[in-house]
Amino acid sequence: METLSLYVDRDSPVHRVDPISKLLYILAATAIPIILPSLLTAAVVLAISVALLLLGRTFRRVIPLISVIVFVLLTILIIQGLFRAGNVTPLFQLGSLIFYREGLLYAVRISLRVINIMLAFAILILTTKPSDLFETLVRKGLSPRIGYVLSSVLQIIPQMQNTVGTITDAQRSRGMETEGSLAVRLRAFIPLIGPVVMSSLTQTRERSIALEVRGFSAKGKKSFLNEEIQEPYHRFIRWGLLLSIILALVWRVAA
Amino acid sequence: MNSSIVVEDLHFAYNKGEEVLKGISLVFDRRSTAIIGQNGAGKTTFAKLLKGLLKPDSGSISIKGIDTKNTTAAGLSRHIGLIFQNPNDQIFKSNVLDEVMFGPLNIMKEEKRARDLALGALEKVGLVNELEQNPYDLTLSQRKLIAIASVLAMDTEIVIFDEPTIAQDHRGKEMIKGIIRELVGMGKLVLTIMHDMDFVAETFERTIVFSQGQVALDGSTREVFTQEELLKKAGLERPHVTRLGAKLGCSHTFLTAEEFVSFAKKSDHRGG
Repeated sequence: METLSLYVDRDSPVHRVDPISKLLYILAATAIPIILPSLLTAAVVLAISVALLLLGRTFRRVIPLISVIVFVLLTILIIQGLFRAGNVTPLFQLGSLIFYREGLLYAVRISLRVINIMLAFAILILTTKPSDLFETLVRKGLSPRIGYVLSSVLQIIPQMQNTVGTITDAQRSRGMETEGSLAVRLRAFIPLIGPVVMSSLTQTRERSIALEVRGFSAKGKKSFLNEEIQEPYHRFIRWGLLLSIILALVWRVAA
Repeated sequence: MNSSIVVEDLHFAYNKGEEVLKGISLVFDRRSTAIIGQNGAGKTTFAKLLKGLLKPDSGSISIKGIDTKNTTAAGLSRHIGLIFQNPNDQIFKSNVLDEVMFGPLNIMKEEKRARDLALGALEKVGLVNELEQNPYDLTLSQRKLIAIASVLAMDTEIVIFDEPTIAQDHRGKEMIKGIIRELVGMGKLVLTIMHDMDFVAETFERTIVFSQGQVALDGSTREVFTQEELLKKAGLERPHVTRLGAKLGCSHTFLTAEEFVSFAKKSDHRGG
């Protein structure tokens, strides 16, 4: 079924890694730079994330996501560089504005953290089919109801788009202008709302009947559509990630 | 003869590289016409193109001299009406009368006249007592009849039915047959997409066979149903009575039970 997702269908080693490992990677990529707040750790994590995205052949899809964030981060950089409380060492001057080393470093650290978190999420989202992710989560004990809600959120927008298309066809085939100038299309929008909402409600009711007929809320253990793929190296990745978080903690405490 | 639809070398694809219609050229005159073919042969797509809901990738369609590329579906709607295969795709108002009045109101903007046309159309399909009902509280077959009424009410010169007999019992089928004959009698061009071969044989003068996006056969209904081999290639079966006649070794292609009965009686006389 059509869903709203950023998933890029490719065959790559990153795609084949299980969703749990990718979730753990998000945890590690977020936690480690916080536990060890040096710029070097952040840069290493950044490099790993970029490498994974390149390996998954999805790097190009990240660029638009990053460019939105970069705009926000630039404002942080400017404001912290100029006005941060602990600013003492001037670094450079633009006209009458003096940028300070402390503030800039702080801003860079924050920016790297944000970008790291985002890239880690991007790895999960771009290389994991949403349905696989939810199925794995349900397998790990997430309530099937919540799993269904999550996956239907992704389906509802394409479905509504379809409904809009169908109703528009019905309306224009009976003489209502829906094509052409913006004014015409705006006027056509209002008579759409009622039928689209109504038909969404009808669809919801029918879907809930269909789900119940197939035992959605039946008690007892459920089976899954897809076999769980358990490769030995998945375990290796998971333990590796957990271990690196623990090592970072130990390092921090010991140092 | 006045040709109201001219289709020239029509090509269409939903996705690039997967052509659904591969070069169709047809001229429709006043003869009532059935379009038959397997699922996926491109019949419904063809109807949507005629209606202006889709635009040709190449080639052209002209409806009463208007090229569908140069107008909108709404602009064409006063000339050509299409009854959707799935009535649920067509019905969007919350009561029967509003649904049927929607079309006429759009094309003539005069409430009294639109109401009269709507009531007339509902009378024809036998739903004049359900005006205030919500269409979704009625049965599928009734919704299909509402869909038919809402196009009839627009009084277009060309009417396309996409699978009109879906979910209809015998009485419903006879009613639709009557409506089609009445439209033809009024001089309108009626096109119908169908899987019910018996209905086609009994109702339409001309039959066109679509197969894999092309016209495989085109002729009078009797000529087309004579071509057993070509029909088989297009994945179609002949009407029951036609097959019965063929099995009995008659050289004549029967289209209706009545034809067969009168033939059988005659040969009975000769035999007795």
